[in-house]
This record gives sequence, structure tokens and C-alpha cells, in this order.
Amino acid sequence: MVETHGLTKHYGNGIVAVDRLDMVVRRGEVYGFLGPNGAGKTTTLRMLLGLIRPTAGSALVAGALPGTPGSLASVGAIVETPAFYPYLTGRDNLKLLAIYCAVPESRVAAALEQVELTPRADHKFSTYSMGMKQRLGIAAALIKEPELLILDEPTNGLDPQGMADVRGLITELGKGERTVLVSSHLLGEVEQMCTRIGVIRKGKFVAEGTIDELRGAATITIRAQPAEAALRVLTAEAGADNVNTTGDGAFSLKVDVNRTAELNRKLVQAGVDVTELGARERSLEDVFIELTGGEAGL
Amino acid sequence: MRAFSGELFKTVRRPAVWVCVVVLLAVAVSIGYGIPWLFETFGKLPASSSSSLPPGTTLADLKVALYPANVVRQTVQQWSVLGGVFALIVGVLLQGSEYGWSTVKTLLTQRDGRLVMLAGKLGALAVTVLVLVVGMFAVDVVSSVAAALLDGKSIDFPGAAEFAKGFFALYLIYGFWALFGIVLATLFRQSAMAIGLGLAYALVIEGIIFGVVGGLAPDIVNPIRQWFPITNMSYLSDSFGSIGIRGIRTVTAQPYAGPTHAVIVLLAYVVACTGITAFLVRRRDVTS
Repeated sequence: MVETHGLTKHYGNGIVAVDRLDMVVRRGEVYGFLGPNGAGKTTTLRMLLGLIRPTAGSALVAGALPGTPGSLASVGAIVETPAFYPYLTGRDNLKLLAIYCAVPESRVAAALEQVELTPRADHKFSTYSMGMKQRLGIAAALIKEPELLILDEPTNGLDPQGMADVRGLITELGKGERTVLVSSHLLGEVEQMCTRIGVIRKGKFVAEGTIDELRGAATITIRAQPAEAALRVLTAEAGADNVNTTGDGAFSLKVDVNRTAELNRKLVQAGVDVTELGARERSLEDVFIELTGGEAGL
Repeated sequence: MRAFSGELFKTVRRPAVWVCVVVLLAVAVSIGYGIPWLFETFGKLPASSSSSLPPGTTLADLKVALYPANVVRQTVQQWSVLGGVFALIVGVLLQGSEYGWSTVKTLLTQRDGRLVMLAGKLGALAVTVLVLVVGMFAVDVVSSVAAALLDGKSIDFPGAAEFAKGFFALYLIYGFWALFGIVLATLFRQSAMAIGLGLAYALVIEGIIFGVVGGLAPDIVNPIRQWFPITNMSYLSDSFGSIGIRGIRTVTAQPYAGPTHAVIVLLAYVVACTGITAFLVRRRDVTS
């Protein structure tokens, strides 16, 4: 549904906002585009919508070049804060978009209903709260019943209840054939909504996969004495490449967690005292911090 | 057509556009007819002005300018720059607000490409300018009839050809100003700077530069000046002639260039403004 090849954006002042990005978003998935603030997420999404011209590389969105009628007809989007005409009501703003997109006016009421904005639909946009503006933005993105939804930080500026509502809405929208590409700097949000994740840092793609793939296999943590004897046993059992010594005198093993009891037995048989032993699954937060170098944005 | 319909939808619902139209029409009635009629009915002719008028001229003689026979001349000559300022503001509002409200990104992520969206906006602008011009002629016609009826004068309008010529001239002049507003708003991606510079140009820059320098060296300045927009608006409006008072037409200096030259130059500006706007809209990144 979305495919980029070496997508790059340089700005005149020497800033590389996006650097040779290769990304694939498959039809029907809810894809989380994750990265700290300033990582290049919005620039990438703007390039996918044809708002920004790439310096190099290419992209295909819904099978067409970004920003062309062939692509725009299949895409609904919110880029950063939803922007509408303040002197028009919410309903009139959607009617306007219906005219631009050549969709029947009946879609307006349906889209308002979908985001639960009908009671305030006839008030001017300038009187809306941030949450209502965000809902209207989603309604606007839905009005042409797009195959692909591109949502840039859709929960920005919302209170906790508003965030939960929008997340629920996005999860609902992602069911079925529709593809959703949602950017966020909030890890928990992406974890709750998305089936696959791409992580961007300083304009470069640093990881892509399902949440389980990114977390990787669970590890076994062992604390034992004497450490030298324990290391000998563990290296023999798991292989040198799969044994790491952590800073606090413990060992971390990349092995099947079902081998926990067996490893314990081998260590005891070798005269090693085991004081701690357990399987540990990495959180997505660990992965994110590792990938982004601990930059702000959690 | 979709883009045009959409632009028209939001333009007709925008209070600021109607405020511009109504204020211009109110100014046209009051300054163009109401105040002059009151002054020429109840006031006194200043002694200093009598030397430029035919001998024996009274204030009542000056009222001839307010009657229907002179309505086309009055509308074009009085309102090409001041009315043009309102057209400029409308042009700036239509384009500059898209940047101010960041709706440019909403517009350009709908269905049609950038140039189609721009064409829709220019279409809506053309209709708005048409409303301004029709409104100007309508209020001036009504005001001139009212002046004639109040003074018991006959109601003789100029011929249809004169009306058509006046209508075309004012539409071309306002069209230029509106497009000048559009190009400034696109260039600066905002309304405030565009309106400020547009007004400065309309009311100060061209007039002052050529007014000062032209007085010192007309032979050098006039060949240059003939290519500037406000000068060409003067050439065009001067082509409607001067008003005859007591049967004598006021003698004015022969314009450096004629109306055909003026129309060609103004059309060239219209094309240039459209081309520059299209280039900027098509090429620029939308980052707001």
C-alpha cells in the first residue's frame, strides 16, 4: 500500500530530515511509525502525501506517485494539527471536503456519526476543543472512505480520555481491509494499536517488524558464584555467542526459556551456587531506548 | 469544476469577503455621490478652485458629474485604485488565509493536484471580482439616478457600448489587483505582509517614485513609467474622457500611452501574476 525506496529529504541549511528510507506498509495492517520528536516522521508523511518534494528516492502510495490524483483519491490523512476553516461549522467543513473529493453529501453525516461529533456538528470550527478538532480531522480523513489512512500523531494535545477514544477509533478503523499508517512518539500508543512497527531515528530507519519481532526472543538471567565456573558451564551449554555478562555480575543467555531447569541442574552439578535464575522478556520500551539511543519521546 | 465549486462554497460563506464588498459599496455611495451631492447642494465653491474651472462656474454646475450621463466615467475614474485596494484585500484573504490557518495542507491532500486546486481558487476569485464590479456599477447607477431625480434633471445613460467598455476596464483593473494580492500572499505565505506591501504599492510606492522623479525628468521617466500597472490604469481610465462643465470639457494633459497599450500591459500583469503564483504553488514544499 505504501512503498518507499531511498526516500530522502535534505533542507537547505544542511539538515537531513529523512535519510534513504525504505519502508513497506502492507494492505490491511495498522502500521506504527515510531520515533522521537524530530526524528523525521512528519517529513516522511508529508512526502507520502505530496506536500513535500523528496530530494532523492521515490515512493508509491496506493499504487501511484504521492500527491497525484491517483494516490490522493485513496488516501485520507491528518498531518499534525487538523486544519479547517474557522468561520465554517464542522458540518460545512466536511461538506466542503465532500465537494473537493466528489463524494455524496450523505457521507458527511456518516463521518460525523463515526467520530461521535454529530451534536456539535453545527457549531463553528473555531469554537471546538482540541479533542473535537482531532475528531473532525479523523472524520475528514474518513469522508472519502479511503483505502489508506495516514494519521500523524493523532492523539497530540488530547486529554487521557480523548487519547483512549482516538486509539479505540483507530483500532476499529484498522479492522478489515483498510490500511492505517499512524505516526507517534508514544510507545504505549503504538503498542496498543499497531500490528507492525517501523522505528525512525535522526531520519534513518533503524528497525521494522511486529512487536514480538522487535522485542526478540526472551532471555534467561542467571546470577551464580563462583562466576568463572558459572561462565564455563553456561558457555558450554549455550555457546559463547549467546552468553553476555551484565554489569552487575549476572549472566544473560539467549536460549530457549524452557531450558531454565536444565541449566540450573548443570550449574549445580558443577558445584556452582545459583542465587537467581529466571526468564526475562524485553519490553518494547527497552527496544525503543536501545534503537533510538534513549532520545526523548516516550 | 470540483475545485471551483469548493472554493466558491467557502468564499460565499466567508464574512470577511462580504465585509470588503459592502464597505467598498458603502464608500462608493457616500464618497462618490452622497458627500459631493450634499456639498454641491449646500456648500460654497472655494475661491482657489475657480481658476481651474470655466468662468462663471457654480457648485451646482459641478453636479453634472453625478448624473447618469457620466456614471461610467465616474465609476472607472474614481474607483480604479481605491476600489482596487479592496480587490487586493480580497485576493490576499482568499490565498493568505490558507497559509495562516494551515488549510493549505488540507486542500492539497484531497483529490485534485495543486494546479487544479489553484485554478479553482482563481475561478472563485474571478467571480468575487465580478460581484465587486457589478456592485460598483449598480450602486453608482442607482446613486446617479437618485441625484438626477433629486435635482429634477433628465436621466440619460451612456450607450451600451460605453457601459461594456467601462465594465471591461474596471474588471481588468480589479482583476489585476486581486491577482496581485494572490501573488503577494503566496510569496509571503501569509496575509499581513501581503496586505501591507500591497497597500504600500497601491497608495504610495508607484505614485511617489514617479511623482517625484517624473517631475524632474519626464523625458526619461515616462518611457519607463508606461510599463507600470497604476500608470496604465490611469491611461485606461483617462480614455473615458473628462466631464463637460457648462459645455466646456476640462483640458487635461494627453496621456503618454493610449488605452490599447494599457489593456495589453495590464493583461500581461494578469498573466504574469497567474504564472508566478502557479509556479510557487507547484514547486514549493508545504511545511506549515
